[in-house]
Amino acid sequence: MTLRKRFQLYAPKAAQAGEPVGLVSDFQRFSIHDGPGIRTIVFLKGCPLRCQWCQNPEDMLPRPELLYIRNNCIGCGKCLETCPARCITADGPHGVAIDKAACRLPECGACQAVCYANAITICGRHLTVDEVLEEVELDREFYDRSGGGVTFSGGEPFAQPRFLLALARAAKARGLDTAVETSGYADWEVMLPVMAHLDTVLYDVKHMDPQAHRRLTGVDNARILDNLRRVDALGLPIRVRVPLVPGLNDGPENLRRTAAFAAELSHVAALDLLPYHRMGEPKWGQLEKDYPLRGVSPHAREEVVALAALLEGSPVRVTIGG
Amino acid sequence: MTSPAEQALLEKIDVLQLPGPTARVEAIRERFIAVVPEICVERAQLVTAAYKETEDQPVILRRARALEKILDNMTIFIQPDEIIVGNQCTKPRSAPVFPEFSCKWLEDELDRLEKRTGDVFLISEEKKAVLRELFPYWNGRTTNELATALMTPESKEAQRRGVFTVGNYYFNGVGHISVDYALVLEKGLSGVVAAAEAELAKLELTNPAHLAKHQFLTAVTAANKAVIRFAGRFSALAADMAATEADPGRKAELLEIARVCAKVPAEPAGSFAEALQSFWFIQLVLQIESNGHSISPMRFDQYLFPHLLADKAVTAEKAQELLDLLFIKFNEINKVRDEGSTKAFGGYPMFQNLIVGGVDREGEDATNPLSYMCLQATANTKLYQPSISIRVHSDTPRALYEKAAEVTRLGLGMPAYYNDRFIIPALLSRGLTREDARDYGIIGCVEPQVGGKTEGWHDAAFFNIAKVLELTINDGVDPLSGERLGPSTGELTTLATYDDLMAAYRKQMAHFVKLLVISDNAVDVAHGQRAPLPFLSSLVDDCIAKGLSLQQGGAHYNFTGPQGVGVANVADSLAALKKLVYEDKAVTLAEIKAALADDFAGVAGESLRQMLLNRAPKYGNDEPYADDIAHEAALAYCREVEKYTNPRGGGFQPGLYPVSANVPLGAVVGATPDGRKAGAPLADGVSPVSGMDHSGPTASVKSVTKLDHVIASNGTLLNMKFHPNALKDSQGISNLIAVTETLFNGGGTHIQYNVINKETLRDAQAHPENYRGLVVRVAGYSAFFTSLDQAIQEDIISRTEQMF
Repeated sequence: MTLRKRFQLYAPKAAQAGEPVGLVSDFQRFSIHDGPGIRTIVFLKGCPLRCQWCQNPEDMLPRPELLYIRNNCIGCGKCLETCPARCITADGPHGVAIDKAACRLPECGACQAVCYANAITICGRHLTVDEVLEEVELDREFYDRSGGGVTFSGGEPFAQPRFLLALARAAKARGLDTAVETSGYADWEVMLPVMAHLDTVLYDVKHMDPQAHRRLTGVDNARILDNLRRVDALGLPIRVRVPLVPGLNDGPENLRRTAAFAAELSHVAALDLLPYHRMGEPKWGQLEKDYPLRGVSPHAREEVVALAALLEGSPVRVTIGG
Repeated sequence: MTSPAEQALLEKIDVLQLPGPTARVEAIRERFIAVVPEICVERAQLVTAAYKETEDQPVILRRARALEKILDNMTIFIQPDEIIVGNQCTKPRSAPVFPEFSCKWLEDELDRLEKRTGDVFLISEEKKAVLRELFPYWNGRTTNELATALMTPESKEAQRRGVFTVGNYYFNGVGHISVDYALVLEKGLSGVVAAAEAELAKLELTNPAHLAKHQFLTAVTAANKAVIRFAGRFSALAADMAATEADPGRKAELLEIARVCAKVPAEPAGSFAEALQSFWFIQLVLQIESNGHSISPMRFDQYLFPHLLADKAVTAEKAQELLDLLFIKFNEINKVRDEGSTKAFGGYPMFQNLIVGGVDREGEDATNPLSYMCLQATANTKLYQPSISIRVHSDTPRALYEKAAEVTRLGLGMPAYYNDRFIIPALLSRGLTREDARDYGIIGCVEPQVGGKTEGWHDAAFFNIAKVLELTINDGVDPLSGERLGPSTGELTTLATYDDLMAAYRKQMAHFVKLLVISDNAVDVAHGQRAPLPFLSSLVDDCIAKGLSLQQGGAHYNFTGPQGVGVANVADSLAALKKLVYEDKAVTLAEIKAALADDFAGVAGESLRQMLLNRAPKYGNDEPYADDIAHEAALAYCREVEKYTNPRGGGFQPGLYPVSANVPLGAVVGATPDGRKAGAPLADGVSPVSGMDHSGPTASVKSVTKLDHVIASNGTLLNMKFHPNALKDSQGISNLIAVTETLFNGGGTHIQYNVINKETLRDAQAHPENYRGLVVRVAGYSAFFTSLDQAIQEDIISRTEQMF
């Protein structure tokens, strides 16, 4: 995670008159698997889905949150003394416990300011469009040379529709290549205006079966598939992305149906199979949430290759890893 | 590419579809990697005998006689299936011994050679006994001992405490040179002899100055004739072997070897095979005459190309195979170093840098089919020598760039990329002519020079910038030993402003750079007096014309290049002090000094360390605050260095690269205000501190461009590690080029990529037997990973993975 120093220290911003402000959790520069070329990803916080395998669980809730990384904690005790609400208590020789119910985020953040070890961090900053794009512009030379640009991700970027619209519009005005990475779970009315300012849409299709989709993500997939057809009708290049989760959505039937659906569309550049990984698991713990997929092992490379081979007859190009 | 001959060549050789390795190449490679290095005592015996016989002679003639003795008597052999022949030792990959430079360390470490953790050499008890008998003769006669006698006590003390090391040339030959290979290919060594004889004929021996010239030119003639005889021995051996060879195919090859070695390097080379063989004899003998490493072929694709172009008979497949075979030969050369040096130069490195592409002397693109074939040879042989490099300029063909990136993807850590756009101006600023600057190549790791006319002394020293900061913080007293090494520049707590701190740092810097210069010049003088090299000198302008050896100032261009190490640690330390002490007043100088002295002991110390680590800007994250300080910290070193001159009449020029000296130099520096604990490795080259580059590779690259790479004209080094996934397809190749181009557009001069993942390296540590052929980039060169010392392995692994 690559938040620059000046964004690391939590400083809640007063809402600015008339200027759209969004909740951003992070930037990731030199992203090369989320759209063409070298890109910067802007992670927008807040998501209506609750996918069991979510690798960015810190981006689910639409408000700033405390993350506690026990491994970083050196047990200095500074946060205990600093917290005005006294909601932090010692927990073992090298750790603390945080009563999140009593915590005064987003107004406070005092504990994080004294946590030099970055054991307590606050995820989520209110940033203006210009602040976001200033960060994005830093790698302009890399985008220009590689055909890259900015990708808005999250969380669900369309969950902050006004801010996303302002961001995408301003990015295009600056001549940046723009992409969005979405679950597709949003009102088409708020999605449509943004589309005019996008060059590529990375669109997740997590399961074709409505019940299974609801079970795995908490929401139905009808709206998602409808919106995907609508995006396609606009003629925007689409990459359909399937997070390939062992035992949950990696059955041959689901993959074939996904490929068949993609094949019906006119502007699908590729269907990307994104192999499950566990790199997001520690963050569930940092948020004091239980990881639903604890103990699930990623596919072996050969298994992924075999699953991709199932789709060989599809007219849509299938990639592993995007 | 327009001439009919060039057109014909392009039709013969498709640079986008070059041949893979042949069965012969693969078999020879397999045989090579199974060889365990040994110590070879033959050279030591011969050189000692020659010195005993010539005690009444002037030194330059003694050197020539010694070379004659070695080349006339050493064991030679031709291996099965070899086409390019010529060996350095009794076995491939064995290391000869060069007692004339230093041998005390070898005597002390003889029993450790097989047992040490990195760069192991086998040696039998019989061979140890041979060496033990020889060594006493050299007592007091080595370059090392004379250099020591020439140094001041202060400069020796600074070395002892780790402020700098001049170890490389202090204990070994200088090397770090590229000779005029084109001259040998075009005129032959008989042409060199003729040139020396012509100069001899001009001498007026009543002129006392001409007496020394006479000795030098006589030595040159003798040395060159010895090399011609040496080739003749291979010709005779091949003919003998052919006489008893049953296989008619091999018999024909041996007869061809006999023919070629009778002709070159004495005479001008004709065919491509003759040119390669001629080249190899030169490359080989230079590494028998002296053990100075980094004997760099440099612009091989330029001077070999006329021979490929003119060779109508050779097919694309045969030409590639010959080139591949030569590339394997580069790996047979070896060198034994003392155990301390193996920490800084791990992995049996010889640093024979071969560079392709770039502009020609008129400024036009110089790429030709051989440029591609050299990259292909690296892909075909997958070995760590030669160190292959590519020069990039604004009109480098995209296809060559992509070819280079494809080789990068193989994970050999090669090629290294060099930037014409800023290296040429850097060389111009050091007095090279426009044409010479455009004709540069790279010596060793990253050091630019024009070949055939430069004695660059590029690896003059590693200078520990972080130690200078530590001494600044401690008012000139070394906290590890308690000794005063530098001037008193004020107790830390009395330095009221950041400017006061910087002024103290600059004063300490000036003091220690002076001591560095004294030490380097002492070593330089010692080489001139005790080990002038007649054969090497004869192939570098203007030695023959001046009648003066390279070691005494015979070269057209003369430099001394000491490297600063630890720029990023100093930058981050100064940034932390500026921000947290002088600006935010979050902590006092007294608190910092106490914590450093205790190596951040206790919870309070650790808390302060975390503040230094996480609450101050860090170089490498595209933030001007720390990047500007890095610029200043490096300049403070570079500006001091470039004030001085060497005994050969040339200037000092700074570099910023560590090879792997960042590990041993870090071991002698206590805790630093960047949050680094005592003894931890320093940052590598101009790279950010390991783990502090949290913003990813694009941010690192932009930070690196903030340094002044032009003043660091002896070379800067940026290592970057990529996961193989990042380069898996054509988009990955394009991304790699985008990173390189952004660095180069912004002013960087060098970048190299390690494409390997952490899991692979861990597995290689656990099961070295499965990874004998695994090559990784270690700072400025590539090495077999499993041959490296564990500390260096750990350093490589801990470097921030540039993931995605």
